[in-house]
Amino acid sequence: MNSLDPRVSRLPQIQEPVSLKAPLDQFGTFEVFVQPKEGKPFQHEGIVHAPDIELAWVLAKETFTRRFTCTSLYVADTRDVYVSPLTEGESNAYDPIPETRESGIKKTYEIYHLAKRGRQHVHAGTVQAATPQHAMTEAKLQFNTGKTVYNVWAIANDAIRFTTPEEKELWLTLSEKKFRDASDYKGGDKLKEFLERKLIS
Amino acid sequence: MYGGGNTFEGIKTDSLSQEDPVKLAAFEARIARGEKIEPTDWMPQLYRKQLIRMIEQHAHSEIIGALPEGTWITRAPGFKRKMALMAKVQDEVGHAQLLYSAAETLGKSREQMIDDLINGKSKYSNVFNYPTFTWADCCFISWLVDAGAIVNQLANAKGSYGPYCRALERICAEESFHLKYGHHCVIYLASGTAKQRQMFQEALNRWWPPMMHFFGPSDKISAHTEVLMRWKVKMGTNDEMRNQFLDMYVPKIWELGFTIPDPNLKKNTETGKWEYTEPDWEEFKRVINGNGPCNKERLEVRRVAEARGRWVREALKSPKAAYVTPLA
Ligand SMILES: [Fe+2]
Ligand SMILES: [Fe+2]
Ligand SMILES: [Fe+2]
Repeated sequence: MNSLDPRVSRLPQIQEPVSLKAPLDQFGTFEVFVQPKEGKPFQHEGIVHAPDIELAWVLAKETFTRRFTCTSLYVADTRDVYVSPLTEGESNAYDPIPETRESGIKKTYEIYHLAKRGRQHVHAGTVQAATPQHAMTEAKLQFNTGKTVYNVWAIANDAIRFTTPEEKELWLTLSEKKFRDASDYKGGDKLKEFLERKLIS
Repeated sequence: MYGGGNTFEGIKTDSLSQEDPVKLAAFEARIARGEKIEPTDWMPQLYRKQLIRMIEQHAHSEIIGALPEGTWITRAPGFKRKMALMAKVQDEVGHAQLLYSAAETLGKSREQMIDDLINGKSKYSNVFNYPTFTWADCCFISWLVDAGAIVNQLANAKGSYGPYCRALERICAEESFHLKYGHHCVIYLASGTAKQRQMFQEALNRWWPPMMHFFGPSDKISAHTEVLMRWKVKMGTNDEMRNQFLDMYVPKIWELGFTIPDPNLKKNTETGKWEYTEPDWEEFKRVINGNGPCNKERLEVRRVAEARGRWVREALKSPKAAYVTPLA
């Protein structure tokens, strides 16, 4: 291709026309949760598409932690997030959840609340439960203070790809990368000097 | 990068008469109260369609917008500028990821959006169909095209669709680096040698017309957007956005001693509005319809990337993962 851009000029010629992609060859969807500061609860941050959860974790790190925006991060397949209906006004998402106890082998679930419409879902705590439905019931018993919650999510702990303590070092290198920081571009002195020169001449 | 939602085609409001009036009233009341709309909430077809179109165009603009600046990474003057420009371009591609996700919550898959970009069905910001001849063109984009984008993005962040607003908050935080970096680059050219000053002046001459086009056609000729304003899809008219940009940046350009190539440009002290020579909207239409200096090249680069990346996608594909609509 003939271009001003040397990288474009070097691109190989694609012989056959590019056919459209095979339907849905874009991988799975994974929800990303980050911890903004040490000691703060995790919150929902967005999604990535990836062929598996391990790559989802890598891509999530690239997409969501290029700056000092978090201290840890984890991902879960969207299909593994059990979701209550979204409510509005005074109506509490916990109200329609039945309070039936269940027996069976229990595992840990992470519970997320939407406390204000328009904001992110924030981690409320963990419960032990046999099924996702049961996790909702347990969450109702433990975390429903009566204050309106608009949406509740439950994710089985064993479906999550967490960041291990060793991997946390990945985030520690960022503070040295000052060139990504607006405060590293102080043009003020140079501008002042330039304006003074302009005044004299 | 961009984010004006200033599509040139008009909108058809016919579908509105088929909406349930009770639901429609509740929807509008919620927006009037300042509440956000979330993906599972009821919404009129027109709202969904228009938001998909706008967020998708914004995402494409970030991806395509990375190309005219990306080409200068290897030729940026000095190691520090290379690092910074690389970080900026990486941010822009990241913005596209966040925006595609927000649009996906409305029901259009990312793959469909990317297909529509490379087969020419979807638009992106017109400004990226112009070439970056010199390093100074690249500095113009980093400072002033990003400044224009920030004007749009800050306004849109106050819109009504929750996932888009949340993506924009994140994006705006990163844009402050782009703006400071871009201004820094231009101050260096301005306070440098006569040759450096000339380089930037020439870039300014080239980029001023596309910059005036950036905010979309003048209110006098652009499509009726009242309903989109009421729904907080569009947060200001094209002329309002353009005026805000001129108000913030013309004084800064003049301060550096450069000449803006429009003899009629001045602020009317009575109305507080900027006056300027009417941009050439025929040229704008010509470029948006595919006949700008770089339209073909921009899409061709995406097509080549798509074709060359195919084997990677094939290799990674796993039957266990499945595409589903993001939650929020
Ligand atoms: Fe940009
Ligand atoms: Fe930017
Ligand atoms: Fe951007």
